[in-house]
Amino acid sequence: MALPDLRPALSWILPPLIALLLFAVSVELWVRIGEVSIWIMPRPTSVIENFVSDFGVYFREGMQTMAISLGGLALGSAAATILAAGVAHSQILERAVLPIAIMVKVTPVVAFIPLFIIWLGYGWEPKVAIAALITYFPVLINAIAGFRDVDPRMHDFFRSVDASTWEVFRHLRLPAAVPYLFASLKISVTLSLIGAVVAEFFAAGQGGLGALIWFEQNNLRLDRVFAAVLMLTMIGVTLSTAVVLAERLFSWRLDQPVAAS
Amino acid sequence: MIKHPIEPDAEPAVRLREVRLTYETKEGALLQAVDPTNLTIRAGEFTALVGPSGCGKTSLLRIIAGLTPPSDGVVKIFGQTPKDAQRHKRLGLVFQEPALLAWRSVEDNVRLGLQLNPRETHSSTDVNELIELVGLRGFERYRPAELSGGMQQRAALARALAIDPPLLLLDEPFAALDEITREQMRYELQRLWSISHDPTDPPRSAVFVTHSVAEAVAIADRVLVMSPRPGRIIADIPITAPRPRRPEHEHADRFINDTAIVRAALRSPTTTAVPLDAA
Repeated sequence: MALPDLRPALSWILPPLIALLLFAVSVELWVRIGEVSIWIMPRPTSVIENFVSDFGVYFREGMQTMAISLGGLALGSAAATILAAGVAHSQILERAVLPIAIMVKVTPVVAFIPLFIIWLGYGWEPKVAIAALITYFPVLINAIAGFRDVDPRMHDFFRSVDASTWEVFRHLRLPAAVPYLFASLKISVTLSLIGAVVAEFFAAGQGGLGALIWFEQNNLRLDRVFAAVLMLTMIGVTLSTAVVLAERLFSWRLDQPVAAS
Repeated sequence: MIKHPIEPDAEPAVRLREVRLTYETKEGALLQAVDPTNLTIRAGEFTALVGPSGCGKTSLLRIIAGLTPPSDGVVKIFGQTPKDAQRHKRLGLVFQEPALLAWRSVEDNVRLGLQLNPRETHSSTDVNELIELVGLRGFERYRPAELSGGMQQRAALARALAIDPPLLLLDEPFAALDEITREQMRYELQRLWSISHDPTDPPRSAVFVTHSVAEAVAIADRVLVMSPRPGRIIADIPITAPRPRRPEHEHADRFINDTAIVRAALRSPTTTAVPLDAA
């Protein structure tokens, strides 16, 4: 029985893996040979060691951060898609909403975190709100573009049988917007993670990897800070991959051009 | 099932009275796209509209379809406004581009017209039979991107025919196809126009916009020639060749004579060659 040819896959996986390994080894050597203080830079090996031995803690806090991130993403993108559907149909709504949306976008929304904590308390609510606020804009802009990216001849056909506005939306605009929505989700999924972590810094003591990083930084346990960051990287990879896989499931129109951010 | 019978006392398929179309350009100048036009197309008539590019033949078709409102004049489709004709699904549109929904299979694209505005879906069209008629059997589950241009246009034809419209409106449907496919498609269109049609309606009419004289003469009962902008019907030439027409007829003297008459009318856009019928 012939083994599957792994060479093509390896040619993609090996170079970055080797580069990463080389980087880790050089940091390890630098820290050991240069006798760098562990208060400045932990050894990569001790980071890994700590990550493995305390995996339960990182995983638990990570799940909390991921839940906040996904909650914010769901809330932000759902609100943005609904708003975009309105804007795509109404010029007045577009003129009213878009300037405000852009104003919120150019403001660093993490500046609202202290306010949100006052208004919404120390629970999950202000964190989800921040993650949502940080994710809505790419989805809004892409969804508007998608709902409007309709072949005028197709629209003519819908009109020629007197299709309703709802039918045009359901059978023409919405499917046309799917690739745009996925393109924006790829951007927003990592943004929501940023929002969740930064919000957790402020609501320290309430769990999550952001709070853990904050706590361990105060203890000067840099190995634990790095281990928490490693967990965040894994969450980021998982979430981004999930979006890509979800898009594959919706394999429609993948041969069509997809809007940039 | 609501059925809107068309009165048999011969409402014409299309009646245009003093229909005019004026655009305002970006500079604010008024541009006359279609000069005042009177036109009657009888039920069952296959009418071709030929003319140079930009002469307003597509604009005229869009006015008939109710997609572009005329600046002036009256449009009646079987005695109704174009809007009512749309509502009762009496118009079957085919464009130069297939304009199929990329995310739907051939079968679901053909079904689209039946699915939209469902209160008016009274036709008992068998979608699978129609797909077979246009020669796409075996490709029901394919997506448009997996088909050739000619096959996509066949699917677009099937989609237009699915609602069994008494009036077909075709805007250069074969212009984007290669020569061999397009010569074949005109006879396919003739066949589809003449069959699979609700017998309680009048015979199916068609308005066929093209810039190919051979195509127009090969398939139509009547060729309307338009002048360059502002578009005006300058000749109305009957084509009396018997049906069904066949590709070999394109070598007959009658065909060659008829194309010569149409070409002459196209070359002398200032003369009114044949009197227009009084609408």
